[in-house]
Amino acid sequence: MNAAIIFGLLILLMLTGMPISISLGLTVLTFLFTMTNVPVESVALKLFTGIEKFEIMAIPFFILAGNFLTHGGVAKRMIRFATSMIGHWHGGLGLAAVMACALFAAISGSSPATVVAIGSVILPAMVKQGFPAKFGAGVVTTSGALGILIPPSIAMVMYSVSTGTSVGSLFIAGVIPGISLAILLGITTWWIARKNNYPRLPKASWGERWTAFRESIWGLLLIVVVMGGIYSGKFTPTEAAAMAAVYAFVVAVFVYKDLPIKRVAKVLLDSASMSAMLLYIITNAMLFSFLMTSEQIPQVMADWMIMQGFGPLVFLLVVNILLLIAGNVMEPSSIILIMAPILFPVAMKLGIDPIHFGILIVVNMEIGMCHPPVGLNLYVASGITKMGITELTVAVWPWLLTMLCFLVVVTYYPPLSTWLPNLLMK
Amino acid sequence: MINRFLNHIEEWIIATLMASATVVIFLAVLHRFLSGVPYIQDYAVKLHVSWAQELCIFMFVWMAKFGAAYGVRTGIHVGVDVILRKLTGKSKTALVLFGLLAGATFTVIVGALGSNFVWEMSHTDQTSSDLELPMWIAYLCLPLGSFLMSFRFLQVAVSFFKTGELPHHDHGHVEGLEDVYANDLVAGTPSEAGARK
Repeated sequence: MNAAIIFGLLILLMLTGMPISISLGLTVLTFLFTMTNVPVESVALKLFTGIEKFEIMAIPFFILAGNFLTHGGVAKRMIRFATSMIGHWHGGLGLAAVMACALFAAISGSSPATVVAIGSVILPAMVKQGFPAKFGAGVVTTSGALGILIPPSIAMVMYSVSTGTSVGSLFIAGVIPGISLAILLGITTWWIARKNNYPRLPKASWGERWTAFRESIWGLLLIVVVMGGIYSGKFTPTEAAAMAAVYAFVVAVFVYKDLPIKRVAKVLLDSASMSAMLLYIITNAMLFSFLMTSEQIPQVMADWMIMQGFGPLVFLLVVNILLLIAGNVMEPSSIILIMAPILFPVAMKLGIDPIHFGILIVVNMEIGMCHPPVGLNLYVASGITKMGITELTVAVWPWLLTMLCFLVVVTYYPPLSTWLPNLLMK
Repeated sequence: MINRFLNHIEEWIIATLMASATVVIFLAVLHRFLSGVPYIQDYAVKLHVSWAQELCIFMFVWMAKFGAAYGVRTGIHVGVDVILRKLTGKSKTALVLFGLLAGATFTVIVGALGSNFVWEMSHTDQTSSDLELPMWIAYLCLPLGSFLMSFRFLQVAVSFFKTGELPHHDHGHVEGLEDVYANDLVAGTPSEAGARK
């Protein structure tokens, strides 16, 4: 009963269009004031201590690093490298866009940032080369989603924050699914391009490839800093994120010199306000999950599920459908912060691996970013290509279908996500 | 006048906190590495940087509270707008105002709870574990940030009521990425692009 009131109130408040963070907070306050004796003072304490964890601080650092990289021309050089490697195959620039997105995803933790960084360079180039705009938009919108699957990933930090799973293991676990999805998206691109006979680029010589590689080396090295640092135990994920931010700053300002020093203040301000927005949602979501726990809603749900005889198979199917629906109205961080604390205890009772469950959620979020009405990647791509959302929705479907098939594989084949972390982290 | 001063100080605080937190963690990590290098390590070990993590956390919590207020002004806080986008005219205005006033109410309540909490804290001698900073100072961001945020919500509500315009943050826009890159790249083959560098 209480659960129904809480969720009813939350959904009602959210539908008015007020910020998600505020609707979460108001739900908790209203419920605590009217229905329980929990001292409201504890709310104030929770609002501070909710984000008082060093792991959470990886988020602002990754955002800062990402902003330095998008401003800094790293993307441009990565695209050149990708183009020189695979641009002569069917799909040409389109295929290179998939590879460049995957590379950029390995240094950035956000999907829309990946779409912006790669898309704004490669989409105009593709149109000039004679690709239909919707082909390019489809490729970049969906490949950009790799940003949160290939580590580092802000979505994974969010999951780790709300469930207590290790960020390092999640990052390692994202590698194989990330590369597999990149290859699948590449195959889709290659196949469509071959069917329609889209332009290809002349094959680059090994000398040209070497030059392109050498130019993009500063960006590629960041992958080593972040993943190598975390895996070898030299850095905690938060420290790795901070190092990435400093590194990205140095590369953007002093090595590639694409970012004038006077614009640094603006980058800092933008990153700070984006991080503050996310941290504010986290605080209120923590408050909300505190309410959930004190009302024992996840436990009740878990017991009910087990009593009904739902196995992991049915549960995961329900989770997927639930998350895909949620992906229609909310952005990933909020979904993860609200849903994960509720679904996670149930998953644990059913014996699902926490890492596998995390990767599954992240893949769901990726799909949510690529379809309307709130797919952030779509809006970003529509901003770059000046195409309407409806037109873009049609454009992305071959890749979206690939992603849905991939989701089924991720859901029902756990070793895809758990094999590597089990091998490396134990 | 006061408003412009407030705007500046707000922006200044959050950008500085972001930069300093990054530098603090960078130096802490650097210090850890130097502590393993012969010759330098004797000096490095004498410095203690165990407080770095705590300082970073406090900085980011402060940044989060003030940044959230700044975010109201720039419209960065995301909401579910499926219904809002369908509405027009009076009903839309009413719903938007309801959302903004709800935001103001929530933040005022939190601000009041926070002040009360800080007041009680200031009568204890609780300090943080590493920095030994009195906790009430650390918690001060809660009332300050919340009241500022509430003020921002009211400001946005008033200006929306007068002009019908809301601050809107375009999550897809990144400054500094122009078509220049595209011309640079498309000129044809990667070889050309590479040679031009």
